[in-house]
Amino acid sequence: MLKVENLSKTYPNGTQALKNVSFEVKEGEFLAVIGLSGSGKSTLLRCINRLIEPTSGKITWDDEDITAASSSEIRKIRRKIGMVFQQFNLVKRSSVLTNVLSGRLGYVDTLTSSLHLFSAADHQRAMDSLDQVGLTDKAHVRADSLSGGQQQRVGIARALMQEPRLILADEPVASLDPVLAHSILKYLEQLNKERGITVLCSLHFLDLVHRYATSAIALKDGEMVFQGLPKQIDDAQFKAIYGQEAERVSVI
Amino acid sequence: MANSLIPPQNLESPILATVSSLIIPGLGQALQKKYQRGIFILTFGIILASLIYWSTATLKLGLISLGTIQVSWLWIPFGLYWLWNVLDANAIGMKKTPGILAGIIFAFIIIYVIAWNVTEVKLYRLVERFNDARMVSVKLLNPDIFTISINGEDSICDWGCLYTYLEDKISGHQPAGVVRISDNVFDIFGRIKPQPAPGWRVSLGLAAEGSRVDTFVAGTLVETIAMGLMATLLSTLFAIPISFLAAQNIMSRVPGGAIVYYIVRTLLNIVRAIDTIVWGLIVIVWVGLGNFAGVIALTIHSIAALAKLFSEEIEHIDNGPVEAISATGANQIQTISHAVIPQIIPAFLSYSLLRWDINMRSATVIGFVAGGGIGFFVVETTRQGAYEQYATALWAIAIVIILVDYISARWRENIVADQPKESVDKVQKPIIRTLKVAFYVLLGLIIAVYCWNVTEISIRSMLSPGKNFSRLLMDFIHIDLTANVRMVVLQQMIVTVFQAMLATTIGAIIALPFSFLAAKNLTGTRKYSIWIYYAARAILNILRSIEALLYVVIFIFWVGIGPFAGMLALAVTSFALIGKLFSESIENIDPGPIEAINATGASRVQMIVFAILPQITPPFISYLIYQWDINVRMATIIGFAGGGGIGLTLTTYFGMLQYHKAGTVVAVIVVVVAIMDFASAKLRHMLI
Repeated sequence: MLKVENLSKTYPNGTQALKNVSFEVKEGEFLAVIGLSGSGKSTLLRCINRLIEPTSGKITWDDEDITAASSSEIRKIRRKIGMVFQQFNLVKRSSVLTNVLSGRLGYVDTLTSSLHLFSAADHQRAMDSLDQVGLTDKAHVRADSLSGGQQQRVGIARALMQEPRLILADEPVASLDPVLAHSILKYLEQLNKERGITVLCSLHFLDLVHRYATSAIALKDGEMVFQGLPKQIDDAQFKAIYGQEAERVSVI
Repeated sequence: MANSLIPPQNLESPILATVSSLIIPGLGQALQKKYQRGIFILTFGIILASLIYWSTATLKLGLISLGTIQVSWLWIPFGLYWLWNVLDANAIGMKKTPGILAGIIFAFIIIYVIAWNVTEVKLYRLVERFNDARMVSVKLLNPDIFTISINGEDSICDWGCLYTYLEDKISGHQPAGVVRISDNVFDIFGRIKPQPAPGWRVSLGLAAEGSRVDTFVAGTLVETIAMGLMATLLSTLFAIPISFLAAQNIMSRVPGGAIVYYIVRTLLNIVRAIDTIVWGLIVIVWVGLGNFAGVIALTIHSIAALAKLFSEEIEHIDNGPVEAISATGANQIQTISHAVIPQIIPAFLSYSLLRWDINMRSATVIGFVAGGGIGFFVVETTRQGAYEQYATALWAIAIVIILVDYISARWRENIVADQPKESVDKVQKPIIRTLKVAFYVLLGLIIAVYCWNVTEISIRSMLSPGKNFSRLLMDFIHIDLTANVRMVVLQQMIVTVFQAMLATTIGAIIALPFSFLAAKNLTGTRKYSIWIYYAARAILNILRSIEALLYVVIFIFWVGIGPFAGMLALAVTSFALIGKLFSESIENIDPGPIEAINATGASRVQMIVFAILPQITPPFISYLIYQWDINVRMATIIGFAGGGGIGLTLTTYFGMLQYHKAGTVVAVIVVVVAIMDFASAKLRHMLI
């Protein structure tokens, strides 16, 4: 169980990205994080694996205090938390396989991995991960020769290499066409249902939230304005989260 | 059935490819449609073989006895290169991914062993004469800025002496002597001295005819600044009309323009390939030694460089307005003035500013041959072994060049940003604007007239060239191509190219780790780590502000005259420029992969290897090739200060008035620089 208590983040320029955010995520949940751009979704997800240092508050995961972990401890924790990004964040000039293998870095020692030497088991694991997302035939091509949807699937394969128990997905489909959005979210849903991996996913479109999430929280200007089941977000809630001028649109 | 469908040569082709590569390197690769790879392997093979043959014949390099015959051991790595090529052809045939690393390693072993020897690298000298170097370094850090006179005896007051003096002053003790700013500083910056009254003062009634008035006499640094400004102004004025003649889109509209275009372009390329300093050698035969010669040399090279950039800018203008203005019935001239000129002015200004920066740097060394400005001062002081005075010049140059670099860069940024200065509702009154413009024009004119005076520009001396000049022109047309001269020139050119390569390599090896310290995104912006960044950048900027020729002077004192000293000087400038370019490309990398790798729980080293290195390798290699290209140009002049290579040959021929041989050297330089330019552009294009 992931527990976030009174989490706040103030950037050095004075922006308050998160204000006293508290919530819990049970094992095996698919939690959607919604809100406008700049509402603090990305900051929240990055505080959980401490890519961003929170200003105050506490995050615990299975009774382990993430916020208090030392730099070597946090690397151990990060191994179990996969992350998927809006811009995919692949090393564009490296091969797909190298990108996927890099998901294993937290497990292997620095020296051999720096020489790009990975064990046969890791290579097998990488091919299995690529198989999961249907890209085994692309293993040896350069990452930037793939389409956006394929690149995001490589991103998921890289996260799978970590054998994660939690996946943080930061707007994983915001850079993709609506049709591809479903294919990516289906992969995440599959991982969530079949392997019991907890998923925290920030999303823009409400119908995607309804379709995939098992629970949801909403942020507005860094404050949590909603917590509950996706279907509880009615029109009034929607306007409260997105502002009075917002219109509901749907993705296919 | 399925088996018989496979064409038979599919089975044989690996064998055929392997065998053909065994006979002619690269042939097997070409047979399998890898033409580029094949041509590369063959070309490199021929270059390596000729280099080994040449080095054995002329330098007796690496000779070992095999019974009665003597052969170079370099044929062993060459054989391995050949073997690699055979295995490579085989690998391609077997549809395996071929590796190029082995081939590159064997080729590099040969190239660097030869480079090391022709550049006469003598590492022991670095150690053996370390004390000399330390002495010079101490002097460099204690420039001759203050003089202390004790009982009428003047001596240089270094930092320690100055500190004691100030401490004595403050605590009320009697200082050991009187401290004043030394003559050396006045030599560099200028002094006020009574001079015969100039004509304009007399005619304005401010001074009597023949009287002496206190006048500011420019120091060598002021002369240098004036040379740089004057050359930039003149070259911009000349380059504008020429650039239209070298712009394809303009000339194709004029009957017979295509021929003019090709002739002008070729001329510009030739003039540009000859370094400013080499132009200096030619110009002094024309107008004699002095600041004026420096200005002409800078201007000639600068015109060619600017006209090329300008013409490319004209070729890339937006055709829309041209079409629109033509459609109104405007004639050719009107179209140019209303549709073309408004589009090109910002770019022209920005290139002129860039050229100003380059001209200022060249102006600091043009005195080595043309005999004016701070370059001449450096030659004189170092000849006397007055390294403290040389040091003052060096620091002064560094400050001026860093300032110029900064001003030029900021100005260009503003031009490129191209934002309208005033908002619509806050337009300045026309009268204020006119006054402002008038003020700047007047200021510009005063500076231009002053520079004109300081640099002693004289049209008369241009019209009455020195007595050898006509002979020089004739000799440059009838260059000496006898076997003996060809041999010497070719040999020195090889030394020059290798000097450039070795300097690039050494510079890059030091710059690589250093550039990580000079990248803001890696050092971080924390209170202490940011100072690492500032310090690293400062070192790079200071080193980069000094031209290689000025460094040669230090290194010939350390390791002796010769190509080794020149190579070390080039290595310092290479380090500074590569360090700057590397750190900038590190700063420009995509932070996304860094975040992603960090999120996997990777360590810092793993992050660098997996997220940063793959991103920076292509630009790094591209910069290395670029730097080699620059270094070859620089290496052609490094010999003027004792750095060996083709520059030494050139000054020797010029000194002995053997212009027909000097012409050969210049022609070879033009050809080699042109080839390097072309090859480096092609290679860099392939990488991106």
